[in-house]
Amino acid sequence: MDSKQFNTQILTLSDKLFRLAKSMLRNTEAAEDAVQELNMKLWEKRKNLNEIENVQAFTMKAMRNLCLDTIRQQKVEGELPAEFEFQELNPYQQTEHKDLAGRVKKLIDNLPELQRTIIRMRDVEGLEIAEIAFITSITENAVTVNLSRARQKIREKILSEQKHVEETTWKR
Amino acid sequence: MEKINKLLEEYFRGETTLAQENELKQYFTSQKTVKAEHEVYKALFIAFDEERKETASVPSSRVLLLQHKPLRFWIKTFSYSGIAAALFLALWIQRPQQENDYAIINGRRIDNPQYAQEYARKKLNAVHEMVQNGLKPLRDMEMLKENIRSSNRNELIKSDKTQIINN
Repeated sequence: MDSKQFNTQILTLSDKLFRLAKSMLRNTEAAEDAVQELNMKLWEKRKNLNEIENVQAFTMKAMRNLCLDTIRQQKVEGELPAEFEFQELNPYQQTEHKDLAGRVKKLIDNLPELQRTIIRMRDVEGLEIAEIAFITSITENAVTVNLSRARQKIREKILSEQKHVEETTWKR
Repeated sequence: MEKINKLLEEYFRGETTLAQENELKQYFTSQKTVKAEHEVYKALFIAFDEERKETASVPSSRVLLLQHKPLRFWIKTFSYSGIAAALFLALWIQRPQQENDYAIINGRRIDNPQYAQEYARKKLNAVHEMVQNGLKPLRDMEMLKENIRSSNRNELIKSDKTQIINN
């Protein structure tokens, strides 16, 4: 793969790779560093990239593996708290998140890593189930199960918050 | 609206296709107001839409720098080659001209300087001899004139002595 092919096939994926890294690492700067690092690694191995059929899936899988390594390293070094599940927001935090879309993003960020990665690959990037299975190294059935769980959790949270808002408004 | 409700249920079960999901996204993001019962899900699809527009600031700057390294190498190589070629051309133009000296002897070009010098020396000697031989009659005439002049001078001295004695 020459530099022109590299730029059109790999560098054009940078935004997708950045979003995937940001979703996994939950940090903008760390995500940008990860994209830079992966681009450099792929550039060094560009001669072997011609043999790859689905460059996008291959590159996203490489990015996921790189982020998993980073997360493991951060856990070992004590920089990252253990994976957390849904966190209940107190009334102050709820008023802080008046922006509903922003609130949904927070809810997705609080999902377990695999679930938030899968829901974003599907609903943000529009990837096929088979591609997500390849990237996450799990079966297509497992992808569908995790996707369903992630969506159900978000739905429950949205409905529960909606109910809470309605009750609060009714009491007033 | 029944269709949207059905699609939503399938969506949350993870059973929709990409085309069906696009239909839902279209429904929730392209219009300002949706049916009241769907309003609660609007933020979900707007969030996905907003995230899709998020871009990295400078994700490829380092790798682009790497790509330009070989270009800089070739620019330098061509520059240095050009300078070297110009220097060589200047030296070649100003080189000592004797390298191109030659002689024409009997209509033939002679590049061997030793042969040419030897040939010239022989010819010059021949000319010298010819000149010497040609001047010999003139030298004889000079000697004759000198002898005549000296005999006349002797005659004058003799006559002067005789006059002094007579006086």
